[in-house]
Amino acid sequence: MSKTVLCPCEDVTLEDVRHAIDKGYRDIESIKRYTGFGTGLCQGKTCLSAVARTLAERTGASAGAVLPFTPRPPLHPVEMSLLASVPVDETRPPVGGVPPAIQLGSHALRPAEPVPAQARVVIVGGGIMGLALAHNLAKLGCTDVVVLERGYLCAGASGRNGGGVRMQWGTAINVELARRSIDLMKQFAGEMGINVWLRQGGYLFLARSEAIAERLRANAELQNKVGVKTQILSPGEGRDVVPELTMKGVVLCAYHPDDGVIFPWPFLWGYAQSAQKRGVRVETFTTVTGFETSGGRVRAVETDRGRIACETVVIAAGAWSPEVARLAGVKLPNEPHRHEILSTEPLKPFLTPLVTVLDSGLYFSQSMRGEIVGGMGDPREPAGMNMGSTLRFLSRFSRALTEQIPQLGQIKVLRQWAGCYDVTPDNNPVLGRTPGLPNMLQMSGFVGHGFMMAPAVAERMAAWMVNETRDELFTRFDLDRFRTGRLERETMIIG
Amino acid sequence: MRRLAPAGPELTIDFEGKPLPAREGEPAACALLAAGESVFSRSIKYHRPRGPFCMAASCSNCLVRIDGVPNRFACQVPVRAGMHIERQNAYPSVRVDVFSSIDWLFPKGMDHHSMFAGVPVAEKVMATVARHLAGLGLLPDAPPPAPRPPERISVDVAIVGAGAAGLAAAEVLVAGGLSPLLLEQEDRVGGRLVLDAPEGAEAAAPVTPHGVQLRLGTTVLGLYDDELGRVLLAVQRDGEGPRVLLVQAGAILFAVGGHASPVPFENNDIPGVFSGRAAADLLRRRRLLVGEAPVVLGEGPLLLPLVRMFQGEGAAPPVVLHTGSGAAPAGTVQGAPVRAHGRTWVHGLSYREAGGRERRVECDAVVVSLPPSPAFELLRQAGVKIAFRPELHTFAPEVEPEGRTAAAGIWAAGDLVRPGGAVAAAESGRRAARGILHP
Repeated sequence: MSKTVLCPCEDVTLEDVRHAIDKGYRDIESIKRYTGFGTGLCQGKTCLSAVARTLAERTGASAGAVLPFTPRPPLHPVEMSLLASVPVDETRPPVGGVPPAIQLGSHALRPAEPVPAQARVVIVGGGIMGLALAHNLAKLGCTDVVVLERGYLCAGASGRNGGGVRMQWGTAINVELARRSIDLMKQFAGEMGINVWLRQGGYLFLARSEAIAERLRANAELQNKVGVKTQILSPGEGRDVVPELTMKGVVLCAYHPDDGVIFPWPFLWGYAQSAQKRGVRVETFTTVTGFETSGGRVRAVETDRGRIACETVVIAAGAWSPEVARLAGVKLPNEPHRHEILSTEPLKPFLTPLVTVLDSGLYFSQSMRGEIVGGMGDPREPAGMNMGSTLRFLSRFSRALTEQIPQLGQIKVLRQWAGCYDVTPDNNPVLGRTPGLPNMLQMSGFVGHGFMMAPAVAERMAAWMVNETRDELFTRFDLDRFRTGRLERETMIIG
Repeated sequence: MRRLAPAGPELTIDFEGKPLPAREGEPAACALLAAGESVFSRSIKYHRPRGPFCMAASCSNCLVRIDGVPNRFACQVPVRAGMHIERQNAYPSVRVDVFSSIDWLFPKGMDHHSMFAGVPVAEKVMATVARHLAGLGLLPDAPPPAPRPPERISVDVAIVGAGAAGLAAAEVLVAGGLSPLLLEQEDRVGGRLVLDAPEGAEAAAPVTPHGVQLRLGTTVLGLYDDELGRVLLAVQRDGEGPRVLLVQAGAILFAVGGHASPVPFENNDIPGVFSGRAAADLLRRRRLLVGEAPVVLGEGPLLLPLVRMFQGEGAAPPVVLHTGSGAAPAGTVQGAPVRAHGRTWVHGLSYREAGGRERRVECDAVVVSLPPSPAFELLRQAGVKIAFRPELHTFAPEVEPEGRTAAAGIWAAGDLVRPGGAVAAAESGRRAARGILHP
């Protein structure tokens, strides 16, 4: 059958690219994510220019507004056994990363027309939190909403995470939120008309120390109490779930078969489109520059495309939330922490669950496309906004992974990238009203698990905002708790 | 595909249980092509036939499983007696691949985001089918042998790419008293000098200046800037097995050239469609003629030299389709390719003449010659700004005339900066080297 192929690695055709452009994906990063071009073995060497040319011709975009996607290291596929041979000085913190700067806001792609002069609600941040909230607000009839996003949709952590969703948590509230989210994820395609490829292959936690094993046991007990049937397995039983694992150093496993992985990007597009259909404005490539406050209230949000007078503003900017809140003189306790991640060449399916070693923060799963997608925390990672990629991570991850599945040493890494966890002192989110500025609402601080919590949190937050019903979530996790010291710590954080 | 002359002693490889003759030193792709094997694998989504296109590890059309390891570039892996090569992603065989029906079921392509979204049973069935069809290659059975330990190298200047620009720069640096490190992905120096450069015939025997530390078979994978300082990550592959090189250099000159871009026409991805550089490489270095009656299409300074190269080897005068916007050079037809014909190998090309009439020519290969698309990835990792150049239809890095970039100690030369001839590339290499010597 005749096809005009622009990206032979992923079979992306000229028609596919035109279709994406016509659907509104009008920058290279978005076209890449929608069509999958440039994500195969060649990483865009063949196709990038051809797609750029198609974009320029189809939209009449000026040359300055056609920007390449960020090329991800490594430049050519490279075996994990080789990467594992690179020495790492674990006594020193990681520094740097490439590329040195990631351009999220872009003058060249900023729309020329001004933002709406007023709105009932302005949401700062077009990640999963902000878009899910916009969708839920609109569903409840609150459609006078503007979502402001500095880059393209998926530019932040919502587009950079590994897509894991699990009910294995250390507090009842997080188990409950995760369970509701997974239920909503199951209905997502039906409601939004876009596939999210939820695959419930389970989560297999591995513990390598008695202390971590004890934590898994205690948390499994809690989970079982609230109806999440987590099983505690011996390493031998764990190998029945994933026969390829060596279980080196492992003393205990926790396994819940209904956890799983999803494909993150369509969630953002689905929520955005649903909200837009109901009248919400989603403004990408638009940067918040300040807030106008008076009389203990936010009166307007200032952007590089003009001012929006509003009744309520929601800060849902993930790891950038402290930076945004600071513009209104509000200090958040959150800190960004880089987390690196990589993806390998696609293999035929062999790995069912997401496997994670809670001690080291290693996690990996096999995506619907067949790639091994995984990351690992670095205990020496300093706080700070950094989305660069390091050789140190490639080496540490490759070593940890091939220790558990040695034959993956033959498998090649295709690309690496990084995102930021939005870390709070107690590993729980910042939600609800801001002391001193009651119409500024906080929706951040999800410590790397915001993606899987967003559907449930946004549903409750919209109801709380529109119906003004009481919901303990928004007092339990409010900013005030850091002053009063009423903290409950979540202990099931990977990485 | 015809061998023009035997190249190297013969050995035997195993291709899916069938012994095939090969020539020592050539990459696996050459042995398969010379033996008449057109389809190396099936593509990931539509199971379309795939065979070599770029011969430079810049595309993924030649991937095969070699000795149990999936997704190896057949264009890069030298043959070895007894080497076991298998196709990928075809059931039960590459000729009769039942999943190639996907290509026919979705003539307009598929939008996997909306397909069966939310349709109760269909959605689940689709997810299961998609999961099982996904991926290329299989998990290997065994871990790899331990690699050789990494080697740390510290030099004043490292040059990436030993083509016209890199070699000329090395010469100037050596004359200036330095001993630069020269990293080259191929197993010989010269780049386009020995391939498709217009001046190639005169400059076909490039020399590495005495005093240069040359590393052949060395692929640079990344330019990192972390606790090791700024470091080039490279992998050197030679007879003793692969090893990592960690290179620290006061100055790095990138002279890596560009990638082959596709020209959009129907079936531009089928076997028998080659990039100009691949066809030149096969002809000059491997003594393999891609076709007895090829169509050559494209634009830019390499189009006509490529045609002359074919004629010089006694091939029939090819049909030459000029796709550029300027006047068609003598001996060429102005037009735009519409469709390649053929299933497992191209056997014809339809094109639209300037007047609008569609014509069809029979052929046994299509060679696409465009100026290369600058390989800017490593420069971008260093922080150099990349801009779209509409007149070239490609991205290109922002580089000052003498080769300096906005990133300290990072230089660029040759086709990476502006696609031109080998003479121009060499001149830009010399300019950059002088800049490095006298900053």
